[in-house]
Amino acid sequence: MSVVYEVRDLTVDLFTRNNAVRVVDGVSLHVKRGECLAIVGESGSGKTVMSFAPFGLMPPGVSVDLAGEITLAGQSITGMAEHDLVPLRGKDVAMIFQDPMSALNPARRIGRQIAEVCELHLGMTKPQSQARTLELMRLVGISDPETRLYQYPHELSGGLCQRVMIAMAVAAEPKLLIADEPTTALDVTVQSQILDVLRDLQTKLGMAIVLITHDIGVVASIADRVAVMYAGRLAEMGPVDQVLTWPKHPYTQALVAAIPRPDDAVGSPFRGLPGMPPLLAGPIRGCAFAPRCVHAFGPCTTQRPPIRATDAEDWQATCHLLSHEVEVLA
Amino acid sequence: MLRFVFGRARNAAVLLVLASMLCFGLVVSAPGNVAVLVAELRTPGATFAQIAVIEEELGLNDPLPIRYANWLSGVTEGDFGISYKTGADVGDAMAGRLSVTATLLAGAAGFAVLLSLGLGFLGALRPYGVVDTLTRAVALVGASTPTFFLGAMLIYGFALSLGWFPTFGFGDGLRSWILPWISLGMLPGCVLSRIVRVGLEEEMTRPFALTARAKGLTRNVILFRDALPNIAPAYLNALGAQATAMTVGSVVIEPLFAWPGVGALFLQGVQFRDFMVVQAGLLIFISFFILLNLAVDIAVMFLDPKLRRQGGH
Amino acid sequence: MRLAHKLRESLAGFPPLALWVLFAFAVVGVLGPYIVPHDPLKQNLLAAGQGFGWDHWLGTDHLGRDTFSRLITSARTSLVGITLVMAIALVIGLGLGTLAGYHRGWVDEVIMRVTDVGLAMPSLIIALAMIGIFGTGYWNMIIALALAWWPAFARVSRAVATTVMNKPHIEALRVMGASPLRIYFGHLLPATTGSVLVYATADAGGLALSIATLSFLGLGVQPPTPEWGQMLVDSLPYLESDPRQVILPGLALTLVVVAFNFLGESLALNRVPRPLPAKLLRLRRDEAAGWSALAKGVKA
Repeated sequence: MSVVYEVRDLTVDLFTRNNAVRVVDGVSLHVKRGECLAIVGESGSGKTVMSFAPFGLMPPGVSVDLAGEITLAGQSITGMAEHDLVPLRGKDVAMIFQDPMSALNPARRIGRQIAEVCELHLGMTKPQSQARTLELMRLVGISDPETRLYQYPHELSGGLCQRVMIAMAVAAEPKLLIADEPTTALDVTVQSQILDVLRDLQTKLGMAIVLITHDIGVVASIADRVAVMYAGRLAEMGPVDQVLTWPKHPYTQALVAAIPRPDDAVGSPFRGLPGMPPLLAGPIRGCAFAPRCVHAFGPCTTQRPPIRATDAEDWQATCHLLSHEVEVLA
Repeated sequence: MLRFVFGRARNAAVLLVLASMLCFGLVVSAPGNVAVLVAELRTPGATFAQIAVIEEELGLNDPLPIRYANWLSGVTEGDFGISYKTGADVGDAMAGRLSVTATLLAGAAGFAVLLSLGLGFLGALRPYGVVDTLTRAVALVGASTPTFFLGAMLIYGFALSLGWFPTFGFGDGLRSWILPWISLGMLPGCVLSRIVRVGLEEEMTRPFALTARAKGLTRNVILFRDALPNIAPAYLNALGAQATAMTVGSVVIEPLFAWPGVGALFLQGVQFRDFMVVQAGLLIFISFFILLNLAVDIAVMFLDPKLRRQGGH
Repeated sequence: MRLAHKLRESLAGFPPLALWVLFAFAVVGVLGPYIVPHDPLKQNLLAAGQGFGWDHWLGTDHLGRDTFSRLITSARTSLVGITLVMAIALVIGLGLGTLAGYHRGWVDEVIMRVTDVGLAMPSLIIALAMIGIFGTGYWNMIIALALAWWPAFARVSRAVATTVMNKPHIEALRVMGASPLRIYFGHLLPATTGSVLVYATADAGGLALSIATLSFLGLGVQPPTPEWGQMLVDSLPYLESDPRQVILPGLALTLVVVAFNFLGESLALNRVPRPLPAKLLRLRRDEAAGWSALAKGVKA
């Protein structure tokens, strides 16, 4: 399988009026054709910025600096200017956002919002793009597409809006799809439908998917591999079933332990992680997780742990415990 | 949809009735006896007997509701009474001037719209750039310059010095209309340009603008295709308010350029305390405001998909 | 010293240029009669229509009156006019607005309906109609403008008063049994007045324009009292031969209105995030670059 998207040693600095923040710190990862990589972390762990900043997609007024190497479909896009990035968006890489209701333009018919992607990237005429739009709407499971074509976002449910977003995103058959919390704003029943649509499209189109989420359930149901982020750094990355079953990094362990289990007694206390993630407005010495880590010892507060391969293939974690051959207690 | 239009129309009708009461009440509450004024007009040095006759003739001794009803039925037929100063028929005088004022307002509003969209978009294309700073400075100064001062300067520059346009008058067609249009349209145009500029930028920070960028559209395309339809309702509302203000501006511009319009006549009425003219002018202006607001409300409904569909159910 | 510091702090964030212009406007307005080089009313037909010169800095008008002195005196006329109208309109607007915000219910309903009707009409048309009925004159103009201006203040006052009334400390006062009068005069009114005064200042540009416009139309400040709009209309017949006498008062008025409007624009909450200025961005970049060096140092 070929690598579609790869970042090496990616660092993102975000500048605000009051301070500078290192939101992403030395992350390396890749995703292959037909593969789904889930990026997990609590809010503020840099997962969204990490996924959008390489393509120049920051909200207006936000200044960021990127360092590291970024490769999309065999082409280096490191440090590319905005006007070179624009043609890639929608064609090679497409995005789905968290809140589909506000991500669609409220003043325009949804048919047009999908069709303009076909016109832009596939060079279609209006009748052609309309036919393609109907096809896409059926593909993502929108019933009665001929009527929906002329409706406005506020007339559709959240689930339908997200389907429209997906149709829009896959219109030009991108090689990479970045989905930022695509199910967070939706009802639980709708969530699984949307995940089904995504999985279905992935096999049909052979896209690589980067799925940003904080929901371990979503990760388990759709992702092939998972990357766990903490404070802008990669904590652990590996195949989903292995990482979730035998997490190596103490942070992943805490995350997995926090998932409610069916055999929990009714009313048993919530197993959260005590403490707060660190402020990123300054250099973090050592391991970012050290202050909250139950296993922290000597080097954790002074030396930044390097990324280490584990005994399994394609499975890494950044923790001093691994290098010191210390048995991690689960 | 129809229900929405009917609802608004009913509100407008109620406001029209209130406005007519206001105009009627204003003259009734005016200091001094109207009959004395009319008697003086007919025969200087009128006696009390003559004044009493006129009081009876004008119906001044009737109870107020009856006087109001009589006046209102006259007004609906275009009879605004007779000027107490000149004896001229106010309704006729106003009717002949409506087209002049309409020309002024339509041209000035057209100029204001073009100017506001031009300045607003120019600034929004590259926010906080050189062009943006310049257009915003122009808009600030333009929105602060008194209409009469701008008019005087335009007359001095383009009529007296350069001789491109006549200094005053209405009859020369387009050539004599340009300067008044610019004079009256500049201030509202500059105020509106700020609404366009800020509105567009606000829309560009909303999530759907990020979606549009993720699709691969360029900023300029997004401004026109995605942001513009979203600021349209707010823009139309502001345009309505500015058009209302422009109506008042006609009171300044028409005398300055010697245009025989409603504004000029209204000003004469105010200057010479010609109650009937003031009353008629005020009623015409306020009726225009109310109908304009109604038109804006309906237009906004057509532009806002949410309102349009809600009205349909 | 302390007061100066406090003043400085509260003025930070406003465009300094606008503040300086308004400060000059206020100083000239207050000191006007004591600093004029000539009597602004004294006619001298022998010195009529002079250009810029040593004796008459900005020349003289068609009656030989000193233009510079008249411009300065106009500032005072304008300042006094604005203050009077503002004061009357604020008393009415604040009173009704806070009453509506305090009582809610039907009192609120009635006051706000009236306010809405007042707001829907351009303020100048009401002022014009009132002058047309009750006659021309300085005080008629002031009262007509105040009556046209209060609805805007009432609307803002009510909005502010409602938020103040919803604050927890008012609720606490009620529970503690504070009398309505104490709540109204001791807390609601002072809290509302501040914000509304700020709004009124930002709105003063429009008022300056209206006073000048009415005077230009011959309905406001009456000759011989100098006022910018009235100076302008006075010199209008001589526009071709002596445009200076039209341009100078126009410029003075525009400058003041620009300053007020600039202030108002910066007051209006700018909800749009701005990009970082280049200087600040450089500073932040250096800050971030320092981290990398530090991290390397730790490693080595």
